[in-house]
Amino acid sequence: MSVPAPPSQHRSAKPGRAAPVVPLAVLVVTAAAAGAVAAVAPASARSWALATVLGAWLCVAVTVVVSALLLRRARRQNLRLGAEAQQARAQSAQTAGETAHLVTVTVPAVVKRLRDGTSANDAVTGVTPPSDPQLRQLLHVFAAAMEEQVRHAVTAGAELRQAREESGRAAAELRRLTDETLPTAVTRLREGHSAETVLAELDWPGLPLLRAPAESFVRELARSERRAAAAQAASAKALSRVQAKAVSMLADLREMQERHGEEVFGDLLKLDHSTSQLGLMTDRLALLMGGRSSRAWNKPIVMESILRGAVGRIAAYQRVRLHCSTGAAVTGFAAEGVMHLLAELMDNAANFSPPIDEVNVYVEERSAGIVVTIEDSGLKMAAAAMRRAEEAVSGRMTDLATLQGTRLGLAVVGRLAVKYGISVNFRPSSRGGTGVVVLLPRQLLAQQRDPAPRRSPARHAAPAPEPAPARAELPEARPAPPAPLPEQPAPPRPAATEATPNGLPVRTPGRTMAEAEREREQRRDPRGETERTTRPDTAATRDAGARFGAFHRGRRSGRGTTGPDDRTAPEPPAAP
Amino acid sequence: MRRPVDTGDPDRLYTVTGGRSRADDDFDLVTLVVSESEPTAGMQSEHARILDLCRHPTAVVEIAAELKLPITVVRILLGDLLAMGRITARHPRAAQSLASLPDSALLKEVLHGLRNL
Repeated sequence: MSVPAPPSQHRSAKPGRAAPVVPLAVLVVTAAAAGAVAAVAPASARSWALATVLGAWLCVAVTVVVSALLLRRARRQNLRLGAEAQQARAQSAQTAGETAHLVTVTVPAVVKRLRDGTSANDAVTGVTPPSDPQLRQLLHVFAAAMEEQVRHAVTAGAELRQAREESGRAAAELRRLTDETLPTAVTRLREGHSAETVLAELDWPGLPLLRAPAESFVRELARSERRAAAAQAASAKALSRVQAKAVSMLADLREMQERHGEEVFGDLLKLDHSTSQLGLMTDRLALLMGGRSSRAWNKPIVMESILRGAVGRIAAYQRVRLHCSTGAAVTGFAAEGVMHLLAELMDNAANFSPPIDEVNVYVEERSAGIVVTIEDSGLKMAAAAMRRAEEAVSGRMTDLATLQGTRLGLAVVGRLAVKYGISVNFRPSSRGGTGVVVLLPRQLLAQQRDPAPRRSPARHAAPAPEPAPARAELPEARPAPPAPLPEQPAPPRPAATEATPNGLPVRTPGRTMAEAEREREQRRDPRGETERTTRPDTAATRDAGARFGAFHRGRRSGRGTTGPDDRTAPEPPAAP
Repeated sequence: MRRPVDTGDPDRLYTVTGGRSRADDDFDLVTLVVSESEPTAGMQSEHARILDLCRHPTAVVEIAAELKLPITVVRILLGDLLAMGRITARHPRAAQSLASLPDSALLKEVLHGLRNL
């Protein structure tokens, strides 16, 4: 038995309502038919016919009644089923509505409230819960999970913020460490402070991650600084011994050159030259190592001697031409430095020019001081090389680490230039090579003194109108004698005691006879010149005594060189 | 060990002679030297001093003593000057004659002077 479709309900309802009428009509019709049959039936058969008709009618009646009953039942069931279907449809519609509400309204509201920080229970109770328990359950589960997620997200955010802050702090400390603390520490260490002092007085970062490497860096740097300083001091000390030895060797050699004759003179000069070069090398190293020069002069040194002292220290001294006509002198304290500086520059010039070309050194006196120009005719220096050289001689690169290989000379020049305020400039030379211009400032020059007492007395005896051109040219530039006189002429001695009544000179100790003789001559200067020129014989005889004294002394100093001359010694020198 | 200051001269002798160590000329100790010209500007200072010194005839030994230089160096320098024609040298032997010898009175004077030295 199938449940009829709802649309067919109406169709079946009308016959349903008509149903009690139809069976009744059937019963009435059949009863009438049966009566008719019974009425028409012959009397004989009436009883049988009546029974049969009655029986048939009963059968029809029963069938009609049963079918009517069945139909009614079916109709009722149909109605029930329709109602049930209706209810189910309504229920499903409600469920759909609730679901939609849940999805579009409740869940977003719950999510929002959870995000705002309310707990899952509060959030769920704050919204209208769906009537469906399963949906309610779903909402609860969702809210719990969501709450968990939100809490998680919040803690993660906090952690992230904290981590960011920490890393920002660390970055700031690191920046301060690299920008301020470490440079200061390096400077302090270079100044000679110990690692402990530096660690104590500076503000080090609190982060152990930064502090530990910074501390170990400072300690390591302090150790290496100490090591470098110790090595430097040790080499300076060792070099000072070599320097002292070289200086004493030079003194010994000079003495031997005086003592020995021509046979060994050349060899002695060669040794002297080697020792002088050695002296330059040791001085160079000593200056770089913070030591001192091997020599110090206690008197002004004239420029000519300065140049010679400089040129004597380089290997190719014979290729250097000195052009010096000034009589200016460099003060004692700066003389050695100037000599070393010029020697390095000359060495450089000689090394970087062809071995057949000369190196010319010019000295000019200017208002700013003395200008020494060293010109070679070698290759022109490239612009970069010249810039490097300028930088090297500027003295800015004082760090030993910037030295390259064996080319130490210019670094030494730079140090000396800074020490004495000397300016050193490179420029292309008009002769094709490179020129170095060295300006010795005025304060390095000896005080200009009255040159008169320094002239040797013989010059006073010379005719006044024709002074020596060399001296006339630069009369104001003569703070010192043309050549260094180790013993400066003493202040004028009492003239009265200088000669015997006979006119012979009296030699005071420490003076050569010739000197005494010249002074005597100077005393009689007014007539001296004419006397000497007009009466040569008298002058000659008078000079003979003086000459003998000098000759005697000269023999002593020239001993060993003059074997054959000894023979002629007793002979009195002839008059001119 | 180390002297505080140096009192000598910075010039080495080979820079004075320009590296030469042997004199080519036959100057001996008593050769008399006379300058023939005045020193000029830019001249080596030793040359200038020799020219100054030899305004009147001076023996080589005396020049050496005056310049405080070894005889060999002085001879080299004198050789330079001679080559330049700035000095003339006179060998004593050439001028040796009885007439030019000092008389006995002078010799006595010398002796007296020597005793007083």
